[in-house]
Amino acid sequence: MKNRNLTFYLLTLVAMSLLSCKNEGEYHSITDKIEAKQKPYHGNLSSEELLADTDLITVKEGEFTFLIPERKGQIKSYACIECHSKPLEQMSNSSFDGKRAHWDIKINHASIETMDCATCHNPKNMNNLNSLTGKDIDFNLSYKLCAQCHSSQFEDWKGGAHGKKVAGWAPPRASMTCVNCHNPHNPSFDKRWPVQFNTQKVIERQEGLDGAEEH
Amino acid sequence: MSDNKKWYTLDLGLNKKKSTSSSCGCGNSQGSCTSQAQQTKEEELSADEFYERAVNAAIGDERKKDGFEQVFDVKMDRRDAFKKLTASLLIGAGAVSSCTSITKDSDSKEKAQIDWEEQFKGNYKLMTDDEKKSTVDRLMRSYELRTGKNINMSSKNAEEDVLFGYAFNISKCQGYMNCVSACVEENNQDRNSQMQYIRIHEMDDGKGFNFNEADDNYYHEVPAEGHFYMGTQCFHCDNPPCVDVCPVQATWKEEDGLVVIDYDWCVGCRYCMAACPYDGRRFNWSKPEVPENEVNKNQHYLGNRMRKKGVMEKCTFCVQRSRKGKNPACVEACPTGARIFGNLLDPKSTIRWVLENKKVFRLKEDLGTEPKFWYFMD
Ligand code: SF4
Ligand code: SF4
Repeated sequence: MKNRNLTFYLLTLVAMSLLSCKNEGEYHSITDKIEAKQKPYHGNLSSEELLADTDLITVKEGEFTFLIPERKGQIKSYACIECHSKPLEQMSNSSFDGKRAHWDIKINHASIETMDCATCHNPKNMNNLNSLTGKDIDFNLSYKLCAQCHSSQFEDWKGGAHGKKVAGWAPPRASMTCVNCHNPHNPSFDKRWPVQFNTQKVIERQEGLDGAEEH
Repeated sequence: MSDNKKWYTLDLGLNKKKSTSSSCGCGNSQGSCTSQAQQTKEEELSADEFYERAVNAAIGDERKKDGFEQVFDVKMDRRDAFKKLTASLLIGAGAVSSCTSITKDSDSKEKAQIDWEEQFKGNYKLMTDDEKKSTVDRLMRSYELRTGKNINMSSKNAEEDVLFGYAFNISKCQGYMNCVSACVEENNQDRNSQMQYIRIHEMDDGKGFNFNEADDNYYHEVPAEGHFYMGTQCFHCDNPPCVDVCPVQATWKEEDGLVVIDYDWCVGCRYCMAACPYDGRRFNWSKPEVPENEVNKNQHYLGNRMRKKGVMEKCTFCVQRSRKGKNPACVEACPTGARIFGNLLDPKSTIRWVLENKKVFRLKEDLGTEPKFWYFMD
């Protein structure tokens, strides 16, 4: 009899604890809640419509497969060999009297000991980019070029901690690629003025009306 | 109007009548009514008697200016307001023989009808989907009647299997404040008081996160030497203290984790503002003004629709955008990619990768508020 009672109590206890787990607010932390309720999202929301106007290509890097904007179609003078019909030496010699292209490009990217034009461009094959070991890299996959040196940024970008999404948060994932935010010839961001200044806040603070002392 | 409503309805002793027709005798809230409304002997009341009864039942002796004035920005006390609104109820109750004898034209009649229904609607949190839809329909129509312009207001509910979360990269933020401007424009914040949901704090390198010494209203070239930048806004706590203190349940946490406010239910007590440990809430001391051509007309009831004087507001993770799969305006506007937004329940989302692979932390974690807003560094 005693045993039976004990089993009964134990059973109710187990049942109660099982039930209570399902209640909202029963999670100890947000991490518990996420763990308990997570599942790959196949819901109603999608970024597809938002991405409809962007030309995208799929890339697969390790465990990650996602979309990035197509690049070659965005480069004004692609294909390069339409102008670069002769080897570079011939085009750059002083007898050449045609219009100078790319006059506006100044390299402000690492030091000259580290890199020059030929680090990324192959004078013999202007239509493709050039890896450190002289292998072709497609302009559409220019991130592979950047990843040669910027490996930690590359890791963060693949995971989604570096860079921006093309459109919404909802799947499918479409991420901007390096050159969508950074000018490869001058990749760092400039100093500039903030886009706005709150004059009202200044007045409120002078008058001691501001309530932001809570911190 | 359904019978099983979750709030009190004004009892004018005319319940039977009221439930039979919508606004005027012909059951049409738009356009003028030409048919004669039926009138029963035992309910016979003159317009004046009816008005007195309505006012007494609703507010008794109260004469103070209150929310009504704030709602519609008309200079009248509550008694006058009721007089105006009663006209539409009279019609609804079938207590008068002709609609046109009470209100001048169909537009103002409709406006009065909308105002009446809006004044006595329930808490949005408790509404059925149909009731939510009717209130946004009324608000859209009301805007059209008042300004001649159309807006698009949604009452979209939280999606299943979605829990919104946010991550902020302190190493990336350069203090440009594009997010602040984008937020103001997106969310129709008051231009006069220059209300801003987002604050960017300029902090000294090497002094840790010292909000007391930080400057959130700098104006010089950024990033400034020796400083780093940290953005704050409402963190949409999973255990939000602001929600617990609201005496009228005008603020609550939605299924997708957004902490929202029903601007029409808020009584402006500002308890929530005091309870928030993160300075996440903003109060409208004056009537918010946005130039007509700058109004963002893509709105959500719980988000960027026009607020009124005397109510609380705050960041909603742009509910009008995020519930359509878009990123909040700040995320989209950030030129440095410091802001990451997504679905915490989706193990394949980028926000989850950040949480699992970067060293993340939250502000005042020891309070147990469980903000869904994480900071990290490269
Ligand atoms: S940050 Fe403040 S306002 Fe936002 S949910 Fe948390 S306590 Fe509430
Ligand atoms: S100000 Fe509004 S939302 Fe905040 S506690 Fe008071 S009634 Fe609730």
